[in-house]
Amino acid sequence: MINLEKILPRVQKPARYVGGEWNMVRKDWDKTPVKMAFAFPDVYEVGMSHLGLQILYHVVNSRPDTLMERAFAPWVDMEAEMRKAGLPLFTLESRRPVKDFDLIGFTLQYEMSFSNVLNMLDLAGIPLRAADRGNGGPLICAGGPCAFNPEPLADFIDFFVLGEGEEVLHDLLDLYRDCGGRTAGRAEFLRRAVRIPGIYVPSFYRVTYREDGGIGSIHPLTADVPELVTKRVVRGFDRAPFPTRPLVPSLGVVHDRAMLEVQRGCTRGCRFCQAGVIYRPVREKSPATLRAQAADLVRQTGFDEISLVSLSTADYSRVDELVHTLLDQFAGLGVSVSLPSLRVDAFSVALAREIQRVRRSSLTFAPEAGTQRLRDVINKGVTEEDLMAAVSTAFGAGWPAIKLYFMIGLPTETDDDLAGIARLARRVLAEGRCQKVPRGRLKVTVSASSFVPKPHTAFQWEPQDRLAELRGKQAYLRDALKEKGLVFHWHEPEVSFLEAALSRGDRRLGMVLEEAQRLGCRFDGWSECFSFDRWREAFRRTGLEPARYAYRRYNYDDILPWDHIGAGVSKAYLIKEHRRAMSGRPTPDCRAGKCPGCGLCPTLEIKPEIDGREINAPLPDQVQ
Amino acid sequence: MPRYRIKFSKQGAARFISHLDLVRTFERAMRRAGLPLVFSQGFNPHPRFSFAAPLPVGVAGEQEYLDLELVEAWPADAVARRLAACLPEGLTVAGACPVPGHAPALMASVQRADYRVHVQLKEALTPEQLDECLHCLLSLPEVTVIRKTREGKEKFYDIRPGIFNLTGRIDGPEVLLAMTLQAGSGGNVRPEEVIAALAGKCGLPVLPGALEIVRTGLLLAGDETIA
Repeated sequence: MINLEKILPRVQKPARYVGGEWNMVRKDWDKTPVKMAFAFPDVYEVGMSHLGLQILYHVVNSRPDTLMERAFAPWVDMEAEMRKAGLPLFTLESRRPVKDFDLIGFTLQYEMSFSNVLNMLDLAGIPLRAADRGNGGPLICAGGPCAFNPEPLADFIDFFVLGEGEEVLHDLLDLYRDCGGRTAGRAEFLRRAVRIPGIYVPSFYRVTYREDGGIGSIHPLTADVPELVTKRVVRGFDRAPFPTRPLVPSLGVVHDRAMLEVQRGCTRGCRFCQAGVIYRPVREKSPATLRAQAADLVRQTGFDEISLVSLSTADYSRVDELVHTLLDQFAGLGVSVSLPSLRVDAFSVALAREIQRVRRSSLTFAPEAGTQRLRDVINKGVTEEDLMAAVSTAFGAGWPAIKLYFMIGLPTETDDDLAGIARLARRVLAEGRCQKVPRGRLKVTVSASSFVPKPHTAFQWEPQDRLAELRGKQAYLRDALKEKGLVFHWHEPEVSFLEAALSRGDRRLGMVLEEAQRLGCRFDGWSECFSFDRWREAFRRTGLEPARYAYRRYNYDDILPWDHIGAGVSKAYLIKEHRRAMSGRPTPDCRAGKCPGCGLCPTLEIKPEIDGREINAPLPDQVQ
Repeated sequence: MPRYRIKFSKQGAARFISHLDLVRTFERAMRRAGLPLVFSQGFNPHPRFSFAAPLPVGVAGEQEYLDLELVEAWPADAVARRLAACLPEGLTVAGACPVPGHAPALMASVQRADYRVHVQLKEALTPEQLDECLHCLLSLPEVTVIRKTREGKEKFYDIRPGIFNLTGRIDGPEVLLAMTLQAGSGGNVRPEEVIAALAGKCGLPVLPGALEIVRTGLLLAGDETIA
């Protein structure tokens, strides 16, 4: 057990590093054959807000033969103390070095955490490159949304897990045990793991490059390695394992409440959205299951708030009924129900008004674009009337402040679309005045993030706007939104630029990541730690250009760095969607009953599950 | 409403929980324990309980108190047992007793706190030298420390009247000090201030940055004892 007594008094928030939370599982190390560490490449408060951690912790620790413990990235002060004292990265449960575990699983939630993945390996005393790791050490795997373009991390991770982890983790743990644990050797394990659907072993593929910097080919090295690795999805989601005894942090975390996942997947089909593709198809749980899980959650955690989480909870087919039964169920227990995000319509606001006991001062909506034309391009099925109805209901119900989320730099964006953002914001402000919201409290906040093209979306071929253009657009909006009652927030365009380079990057970026870690890059998602200069230096040292990744416009027939990774949606469909985007034609949600032909259901042999039952969306006349 | 005084300890991992987080941690534990809690009125109801005195982050507490209100009378030992079974690592309940409704607020009854402080030494010390050192401090007419006010201004404060007892012994490479200091609404003297004064004014060879502080007890007005 690693002794932290000397260093904990010297760091901020030492509770991040000590564990001991309610519902923590600490198993007998010597009696448990397979040991896995869950590594979250960010601080405790972020990692503990992540439902995936709680689900996998529950799945692994429910087995008698396996255990899972947690490791988080130590904040910079703690890292400095650990390095000074020669202490390696450790888990909270048994305070053992992560190096002592059989498997270490990283979750990749955002590109800007990649430097933390490398830094955590380094802090653990594990060679960064998979090729430099011999037998006897732990196997390093990674999953999560960024595993859908795993190439920048290909040199450092032994294998990637694509898609949902609940079932495939069992396959992996069984295999590890059957292989005889550590005695089998890494090569033997990987050779067998590659036969499990959803497992991608990057060292079993060879990538060649063209003279112009594009990908020439991606080939499996041997015949038993699949050319395309397709994601895993959980069938019968209503019966999927769900942690009703999650860890309850003793330190305030980002999402400090019980999380009840009401459904998985969202098929609205916003064309910029990667989550909408990688979590397909939509699968709802039944109200009966949710009621039982909610009761259990509250009993086992003591949380005073239960959040109905999903990508778009207002789309849950029986959300109204569910919310009301939960409110009745918890009346008198001092437990409130909340929705993590709202759809842009009056229904969502009315629902929020009924359930929000704690009247937060603002409501947030995401119209994403300033004109109907551009909203049709991105397939955000929201009209100006929807937005005005929503904000009107909100002001009328007593919310004095509205936040509006937009993206700038979307494909086909013109000056008119930018002007549209300012015009919409002013219209919302005028509505607030009209509804007699007190002048001093009325506030409309506009947040503009920069569009980042993401793999597996209809916009994966699109270039990102140049830094100078993004800065110019931000400056324009800053000017256009100068008025009492309007507030403008924007994101650092340099972060979005690197995000684009990493999200569409290939294997060569591994060199850049290695340099970046060496130069001290970490916590790049935190503005106090992010340094664009350090990243530029890392690129310079390797001779690679981030602009070539972020600004490249791919052709439909180009080989993309992630072409051997399958999210289940066909490339033909994405091309069709891209073409529809360019001509401003919307595509309806398959929930409405008409299948737009994304190809996922036949490929994965799965069907959407609405209200706990499988449904058949009628096929369109021709599926491309 | 029936009121209970809970005696608890905060040690090990739990001593790093901040006071604000401790409030939340107890609130959740009480809900898990299924106690018939009294909720505050308003938009955001919270169970009604209050602590005797907050503990700074990193300081362990061996005999801490909180007062809790319930909507119905339960046997005190049942309250203690149920709560004890629902606390995370490092928090334990030693007992509970009913408190009369007219009793003053717990926080207002705190008068003194006992501490045990482990001090690492830069150089060896004889027991005689240690005694001299402690005697030196206790014989000073005043011990002035500088405190920062909330606005960031510096203010002088004499801690000497708030030091009621100070003894110590050598324990290998460290000194073990026991002190009774003023605590509560009348003012607080912090053990770190006493150590700094011992080092600065009386020559105790303290190794900086290596203090371990345990609050061993709280003295309440009327000396109400608890099961």
